[in-house]
Amino acid sequence: MTPFEIGLAALAVMVVLVYVGMYVPLALMVVSYCAVWVMKGSPILAGKLLALAASETISSYFFGVVPLFVLMGYIVSVTGMGRDAFDVANQIFRRFRGGLGIGTVGANAIFAAITGISIASAAVFTRIAVPEMVRHGYTKRFSVGVVAGSSVLGMLIPPSLLLILYGLLTEQSVGDLFIAGVIPGLLLALIFGIGVFAMARFWPGFIGENLSDSDEPLLDSGELFRKGFPIAALIFLVLGGIYAGWFTPIEAGAVGCLGAILIGLLRRSLTWKDFWSVLTDTGLVTASVCFLIIAAQMYSRMLALSGAPAEFGTFVATADIGFWGVVLAYVALVIVMGTILDSSSIMLILVPLMLPVIQPMNIDLIWFGIVTVLAVEIGLLTPPFGISVFVIKSALSDDTISLGDIFAGAAPFALMMLLVLSLVLLFPPLATLPLGY
Amino acid sequence: RAETVDVTIAAGHPPVFRWVKHTSQTFIPAVNKALEGSGITVNWSEQYGGSLAKVGGVLEAVEEGLAEVGLVSSLFEAAKLSPQNVTYFTPFVSSNATAISELMDKLHEENAELRRSWEDNNLEYLGAAIGIDDYLLMTTFPVNSLDDLKGKKIGAPGPAVNWLKGTGAIGVSGNLTTYYNEIKTGVYDGVIVFATAAVPGKLYEVAPYVTKVGFGAQYAGGIAANKEWFDAQPEALQNALRRGGVAQREAYHKDLDQAISASLEAMRANGATITEVSPEFRMKWAAGMENVAKAWAAQLDGEGKPGSSVLSAYMDAMRQDGATPVRDWDKE
Amino acid sequence: MPRFLQQVQAVIDRLTMALNVLGTLLILALMVLINSDVIGRGVFLSPVSGVPELVSMSIVAIVFLQVGQAFRMGRFTRTDALINVLEKRAPRIRAGLELVYSAAGFFIIGALLNASYPLFIKAWDRNTFVGTVGDFIAPIWPVKLVILIGCAALILQLAMSAIRSAIEMVSGRKVVLPDSAGGHDAV
Ligand code: NA
Ligand code: NA
Repeated sequence: MTPFEIGLAALAVMVVLVYVGMYVPLALMVVSYCAVWVMKGSPILAGKLLALAASETISSYFFGVVPLFVLMGYIVSVTGMGRDAFDVANQIFRRFRGGLGIGTVGANAIFAAITGISIASAAVFTRIAVPEMVRHGYTKRFSVGVVAGSSVLGMLIPPSLLLILYGLLTEQSVGDLFIAGVIPGLLLALIFGIGVFAMARFWPGFIGENLSDSDEPLLDSGELFRKGFPIAALIFLVLGGIYAGWFTPIEAGAVGCLGAILIGLLRRSLTWKDFWSVLTDTGLVTASVCFLIIAAQMYSRMLALSGAPAEFGTFVATADIGFWGVVLAYVALVIVMGTILDSSSIMLILVPLMLPVIQPMNIDLIWFGIVTVLAVEIGLLTPPFGISVFVIKSALSDDTISLGDIFAGAAPFALMMLLVLSLVLLFPPLATLPLGY
Repeated sequence: RAETVDVTIAAGHPPVFRWVKHTSQTFIPAVNKALEGSGITVNWSEQYGGSLAKVGGVLEAVEEGLAEVGLVSSLFEAAKLSPQNVTYFTPFVSSNATAISELMDKLHEENAELRRSWEDNNLEYLGAAIGIDDYLLMTTFPVNSLDDLKGKKIGAPGPAVNWLKGTGAIGVSGNLTTYYNEIKTGVYDGVIVFATAAVPGKLYEVAPYVTKVGFGAQYAGGIAANKEWFDAQPEALQNALRRGGVAQREAYHKDLDQAISASLEAMRANGATITEVSPEFRMKWAAGMENVAKAWAAQLDGEGKPGSSVLSAYMDAMRQDGATPVRDWDKE
Repeated sequence: MPRFLQQVQAVIDRLTMALNVLGTLLILALMVLINSDVIGRGVFLSPVSGVPELVSMSIVAIVFLQVGQAFRMGRFTRTDALINVLEKRAPRIRAGLELVYSAAGFFIIGALLNASYPLFIKAWDRNTFVGTVGDFIAPIWPVKLVILIGCAALILQLAMSAIRSAIEMVSGRKVVLPDSAGGHDAV
């Protein structure tokens, strides 16, 4: 067997192992190990690939702050700040059907301006938003679906780890990429909001038959202030601090975490027992998610060695199919690879391969970056390997919601992303207009 | 007799980086060309941009044999290739990247101790020195005297944080990919960066004051092969790989030289103010620094690595080459 | 489960739990460290050296310190559709499958541990560090050691899981474990 064939076989085996219920990180590791063994003829080399990926993959400042973002969200949840914020959101959106779902999308868009990484959004809102929506009569499936869907906003609205990676791969200004991500990000949030509203109206079986958003008693303005102020103060601290230059978006995880603890203590709503318990839980979520990411990296390095993704990329790059042919084939390839690979691996493999092909076509590389990130992020929601969905599963305290439920709940949002992707493809100014050219 | 050798070649940076681009466009063709008529063909598998190993992980990937050849950034291997980082501990020596690279490759040929730090990591150094153009100070404010730097936060790559000690500026260990945003929001008031990286990142938009302080050009790494593998290869292939190294160094630096002037021109065209400091200013800056080179050499000597000897060999060779270091770091 | 195995399980649980606590404390330490850097830089004009390096190493340590407990608490991601069907219709086959999965995990983490050990020895022998001489340096062997410890803890939990599944497969009865703290009891 050639390495290419081994790579294809490894793909197939992984999909089967995931569906028959093997633990996903362990399945990824087993497949990577065996495939490298067969390819290189050496179990020792195969082991080394695992060991190097284990110590390298998450060893960065970016990943280092993931637990702090998660902890911040959990403290917001355990101190009741999250619930209060939803009561306020409920008042604001009470005229809309599906108001809490819309509120979750909006809150995610705000949180996206703080975090550069989608897994943080997914972990945080699983704790804050899902229980509130379920309490108000939304189906569990929809509740986790809207959290999974809107978590992708974290990578589109700046700051964004993926846009930084793309900037590095293509030598484009990260500043320009961030500006270009704003309108598509807000557009995606808007379409998610409209989608939720439409589903509440026309597809109540999916979102929930008896939504009690508007049953809550009206809050007077004093109550609104009392409930809304703490979370507003936290957002102000974090966003204000970033844009005033006190700290970087990476450091914001730690500052926001400390801020949430202080606010919790001041409101006397954070007990030592609760604190320790969410802290432990933060660790378990971080460990299971990061271990999964490490395993995914092993798998993607194995695939890179097999040459399979590069061969597909070269096929698309060298096919004589014109501008739209190349762009559409590329987008399709990214989406297909998104079903089984993690976001950054897809970009690492495909972007450098496509770059020499698209540069002579005079394609705007900033626009192409936004297209790439949108297409890559769809993969966060698609089975069998969808990292946002996996994060929600490990952050969830409800065993009655299966992975399949979350994938199903997220599917409408993946479709809406496809719609926004098409719009950005058809109307490049959506990305490039604010850059003034 | 015909023979095909499978070679995986890895780099942590993506191919848009000049040194990786030349690995693909100069090194590999040069090796192939040198092999013509030998009956050996190499079947290359190119793994760049972190698809097999991250920037700081290429050395280990090649050392362990996951890749046969790699583009190793000594700058990101401060512990394993410590003598190779000599240039970063001796600023204000020369701003000629081509000269520094030629000299570092020559030193590698002549100085067994310098080669040993590669060999200790099971690597065979193939040359292809990567020179980095003269580091500049880019700030949001004009720099006319050292006093202008007081209390200002300046982002810098790890070893360059030392250059700021004694200036009154606050050195913050930073990362090229986030400089733009951190200057824009005000986390940094400036950065230490080289021109050919400042242009693609559009740093001149947020830090339009470009000051040529004279920190100097640097050596940042080269191409190396897994030593065990290399030693087992036929001589023709070994020689071809070495020839590829020389070809890459020459082509890369020719390309770099053009890019440096183009980059400075591009910054000026986009409204940046480029100034060169006076010799007195430079002298004062250098005089205010601690002699980190000495501390660094002493530390290496203590670990049984060639610190002092590489320091003086490098400084001697640079002086011989006509450079006039602002401080003779080795002689103090 | 025989009494003897229950005791072994209890000891291993205590071990993974202790590592879990260490990892948890490390998360707190990270928060304090980064905030000190931010406040030091902004207010006192003296940032803390080496924060990026320390954070990068800590996250690896945090993950490996907690990975054993994460498995024990059922936090490893999986698709449970097939498992749930089998649970009702053919519990012995389900147990057999679980045995295969845990055993495969046992061997693969064993391979990872085996391949990680030389990396630790290398870091220890050569005293490899991160950072820059003159500014901040820290050795990397502690994090390489934590990787080994974390793998070992995970292997022990995988082994116990395999043994439990084997017992279930043979006896046809479900082995119920006493639930240790640290689960989803929080919010
Ligand atoms: Na974001
Ligand atoms: Na997917």
